[in-house]
Amino acid sequence: MLRSKRVVLVVLGLVILGVANATGADTIKIGFNTPLTGFAASDGKSCSEGAKLAVDQINAEGGVLGRQLELVIYDDQAKPAQAIPIANKLIGKDKVVMGISGSYSGATRSAAGVFQENKIPYISAYAIHPDITRAGDYVFRTSFLGEIQGKAGAKLIGELMGKRKVVMITLQNDFGQSLAAGFKSVAERYGLAILNEYQYAIKDRQFGAMVAKVKADAPDAIYASGYYFTAGPLVSQLRAAGVTASVIGQEGYDSQKFIEIAGDAAEGVIITTSLDRDSTVPETVDFMKAFEQQAGFKVDMVAASGHTAVKVAAAALAKAGGTDPKALRDAIAAVELKASTGEIRFNALGEVMKAVQIQVVKAGNWRHYAVIDDPELLAPPEN
Amino acid sequence: MLFLELFAQGLIYGCMYATIAVGLTLVYSLLRILHVAHAGLFALGGYLGLLLTNATGSLILALPLAAAAVGVVGMAIYRFCYEPILHRPPYVALIASIGLFIALEEIFRLIFGPYGLTYAQAPLQETFAMGGMTIRRVEIVIVVGSVLILGILSWLSRHTRLGVAWRATVDDPQMAASFGISVLKVRYLNFFIGSALAAVAGVFISLLSNLVEPTMGGVPSYKALAIIVLGGLGNVTGTLCASLLLGVTEAFGTIYIGNFMDRDAIAFAFMIVVLMVRPQGLFGGR
Repeated sequence: MLRSKRVVLVVLGLVILGVANATGADTIKIGFNTPLTGFAASDGKSCSEGAKLAVDQINAEGGVLGRQLELVIYDDQAKPAQAIPIANKLIGKDKVVMGISGSYSGATRSAAGVFQENKIPYISAYAIHPDITRAGDYVFRTSFLGEIQGKAGAKLIGELMGKRKVVMITLQNDFGQSLAAGFKSVAERYGLAILNEYQYAIKDRQFGAMVAKVKADAPDAIYASGYYFTAGPLVSQLRAAGVTASVIGQEGYDSQKFIEIAGDAAEGVIITTSLDRDSTVPETVDFMKAFEQQAGFKVDMVAASGHTAVKVAAAALAKAGGTDPKALRDAIAAVELKASTGEIRFNALGEVMKAVQIQVVKAGNWRHYAVIDDPELLAPPEN
Repeated sequence: MLFLELFAQGLIYGCMYATIAVGLTLVYSLLRILHVAHAGLFALGGYLGLLLTNATGSLILALPLAAAAVGVVGMAIYRFCYEPILHRPPYVALIASIGLFIALEEIFRLIFGPYGLTYAQAPLQETFAMGGMTIRRVEIVIVVGSVLILGILSWLSRHTRLGVAWRATVDDPQMAASFGISVLKVRYLNFFIGSALAAVAGVFISLLSNLVEPTMGGVPSYKALAIIVLGGLGNVTGTLCASLLLGVTEAFGTIYIGNFMDRDAIAFAFMIVVLMVRPQGLFGGR
């Protein structure tokens, strides 16, 4: 009796698996590695929600090449050691036609090497390390390099805001370091005097000592790199100690959560990013509306980046007219697309060329402040 | 002036470290277990304190409730995790503890989401000027609260029957048992108090940064271990002094050597230097 029950169960399981496989058989698979657990899980969640939304939107309109898109998502914990087996699995087992990184620089660099070796196209949605696209001609990036955003930050402070004395607070990881390098490289050009630079680790949430020193430095502006979970506490502690200098951040701040954490202290904080909340561009407006409906929380830069990367992938598939890796690569390289994070075009290295959005916190929301569209300043490296 | 401000910040860091590390040192002195999951209870305290404050609107109500609840969870951890493996070598308990800590982090993420939670209206954020410094009320509460709580505990351990029984058990469990002290009761009490203290520290930290997140126990999980080693494993006075010393060292270190050594590196370099001079820790004798 027991035995026959078991047999029935096994058969039932096989049938379910078969059905599941049958529905998945004719889809076009796109690989997606992102941190769903560990310290970067919040960015992984946002990015995968954005990517899923893009897939749903494309499939609702009939898919690509008459087939539905399928996102194959794996958790890489933002760790390079996890990203390599995941990349191999995506290529070898899942047979994805291309990969997207919804992850940080370390994991993305590792995976990029594997994709390049197998000559499968790979798009980095928001990782900023310069070496990612240098993995080879199959690797692209739909977000800014850290250095470029750093340069935009310097122009913002020196030219648009007219401030001179700057203190830098730099996050000790590749994100913070490359922002700082870009910022310093053009600081002189925009008449900025860097009084001091302090560094902190990504785990730090208590900045009391640093804040006391910044207060003594009395700068006009503070260029502080970080993510919403470090910048939120930092900004609120700066304001609580009576530091009134302007705080300038970057896309790492770009989340409603930053405003929640810093509260009133967030008012007037200005950042360089790639998502304009007050945009009138239909692609961006539609995305923000659809995202909040589907995900149930306010949109952020990472979500928009995941969304953009999938749209680029779909556009390339349509253009290539098939899934041949070489044709796909060439199609991505030639993409010209309006997406939620702006107009996407790639240079010879696979770096995106687009304008930097400047946002400011006003009455508890991110709002438009300015756009920096300076092709010479923002030009990504060509090799 | 800057010196004074840095010193004050160091004191605040130190008080937080002390509140976390005392529980850890208590567990070590009684059971010789390095209780890494203690940092998970610290995060749990942060979550409960914040959720209860948001639900009731009163931190004064939420803080003791969170501390008591986490204290009970601490006792449960002893009962269901450590007690069954007490007769095994110490590293078994250490591995179990690390596993439990990782599991707790991921449970927080699954239940409360990866983004972290914030106070609806963060309490104690008012600032006032004192001796030329701008100080937040929460910073005063942390220093006064920690000193008060640890002071009361120390008084209780000297002047109540339970406290004396506790100290006797730490000194010599077999002798204490032969005098009719319930060793089990002392262990439960130990876990309750240590865990409740961790919860208080968790709530304090969440007030400083207006943020609780699944990984907030990450730093205390290893730094508190460094502190109790520095204090001479199992020595409460040593742990308190080590906490304050480390807090002040970090406050100055992040400013003057922070650009080539991050905060954790400063802490561990400090620990290595002290241990080179005094291998038994600051107050270790045993």
